[in-house]
Amino acid sequence: MLLTLDILTTAAILFIVSIGLLAIFGVLKIINFAHGAWLTVGAYCAVVTAKLGLNPWAALPLAFVVGAALGGLAEHFIIRPLYRRPLDAILATWGLGIVVGQLITLAFGRDVQLTPNLYAGTVAVLGVEYSAYRLVALGIALVIGILFALTIERTRLGLSARAVIINETLARSLGIDTGRVRLVVFMIGAGLAALAGVLLTPLTSVDPNMGVSWLIGAFMLVMVADASFLALAAACLVFGAAQVLISTFISPILGSIAVAVLAALVLRISPKGFSRA
Amino acid sequence: MVEAARRTEPAGAALTLDAVSSGYGAVSIVKDVSLAVGAGEIVALLGKNGMGKTTLLKTVLGMVTLRGGRITIGGQALSGLSPAKLVALGVGYAPQEQPLFQDLSIRDNLRLAVPSDRHLPDALERLVGHFPFLKDRLAQRAGTLSGGEQKMLILGRALMLRPRLLLIDEISEGVQPSMVERLRAVLLAERATGLSMLVVEQHVAFALGLADRYAVLKLGEIVDSGSAKAPDAQARVIDHLAV
Repeated sequence: MLLTLDILTTAAILFIVSIGLLAIFGVLKIINFAHGAWLTVGAYCAVVTAKLGLNPWAALPLAFVVGAALGGLAEHFIIRPLYRRPLDAILATWGLGIVVGQLITLAFGRDVQLTPNLYAGTVAVLGVEYSAYRLVALGIALVIGILFALTIERTRLGLSARAVIINETLARSLGIDTGRVRLVVFMIGAGLAALAGVLLTPLTSVDPNMGVSWLIGAFMLVMVADASFLALAAACLVFGAAQVLISTFISPILGSIAVAVLAALVLRISPKGFSRA
Repeated sequence: MVEAARRTEPAGAALTLDAVSSGYGAVSIVKDVSLAVGAGEIVALLGKNGMGKTTLLKTVLGMVTLRGGRITIGGQALSGLSPAKLVALGVGYAPQEQPLFQDLSIRDNLRLAVPSDRHLPDALERLVGHFPFLKDRLAQRAGTLSGGEQKMLILGRALMLRPRLLLIDEISEGVQPSMVERLRAVLLAERATGLSMLVVEQHVAFALGLADRYAVLKLGEIVDSGSAKAPDAQARVIDHLAV
């Protein structure tokens, strides 16, 4: 039972961390290596919220807005000229991530920051005492996933984004402002990443470089999912399970690299990853 | 003869091209083309594959960079106008290459062609008026339509927003004769309402039957033009296309 809960909640956390990166990769076709920086920015929104003495949950909307705003600026001034040069875009976003990390260090220092737990305590689930927060995170992942799917399937923005993914030239010729679609998607992706940063605070220490370790896992999951939303959910479950099982039965050190190694293996065997299903 | 197209240019021309050149990268495709489509007029642009017809349309649409010359639509000079602005100016486009989102429903394909969902009911009503068979098939994937049905969807979509100028790229290609008739009837009905058209075609009889004037494009240059109703028009065009 404990193992099942660990697997589900680990998958949920991986999903929360990767979904913003997936949105940006799917529509903009670039790998946003500043993703880790947005995660960190979100986590520091939780730090600021705590310092202001606000309800810790207020950090969620704050992080989304701050992430989306910074994402909008980054898209407009840095990413936009680089859509036709994806390799340069990787360099630029990597550099942007370093700059953001340094700015956070300047503002808050190098030290690990403490944040209040969003939801403390444990609950009994079918006879096991389990972290209440991890269960809350599972619920939040489901909510984010459902909202994301509804946005893609039911809204005009989602339809325009799908049109840009399938055939950008045709979308443009029909009068769709593809530049605006890219901007909005980038803002949503960065906002979701910052949101994920807040949700990570009870699980990990908050420091200026915290985003980097999560970035690698998210990057691998998105590569395996190949921009498909359902494939990302499946990849999170499978790799989350592998991470938990290896950590539990073999070694936590090996568990922490399980996602990266397995993703590399999957891509070696099947370059389209999980998206063929 | 090249001058013929220009000479008859009416004051309120729907579209004028004045010494237009364009191309991709280092390659020049369209060379010094002058052409006008008057209000309510249909001009056929004929030529074999690879002669620059589609590039010419894409230049008008701002999808290929204008290298030289001047384009006006409804008297307004185009320079760097986005396709969205052109749609707002009343330009409809029926493309030839990858014209539909095959995996999306017909309804979603049409939603993508209107500026907001508010416009959709009227637009759909117009579409179904032209092509009633689409009425009960809006939920179907566009890719499941036959080739001729897809062409009707492409034309219907371009007409949804009541354009004032329609740019059509080989709408009759690969379509069986009865369906070509249907396309022709819709285009003629639209022309009667004052719609101007630039019709790119290889199907000579269809194009000349529809058009008031024609121009032949060869290697990016207009090599012949005249009245589509001239007794020798068909023979001349076929002659050019044969070479």
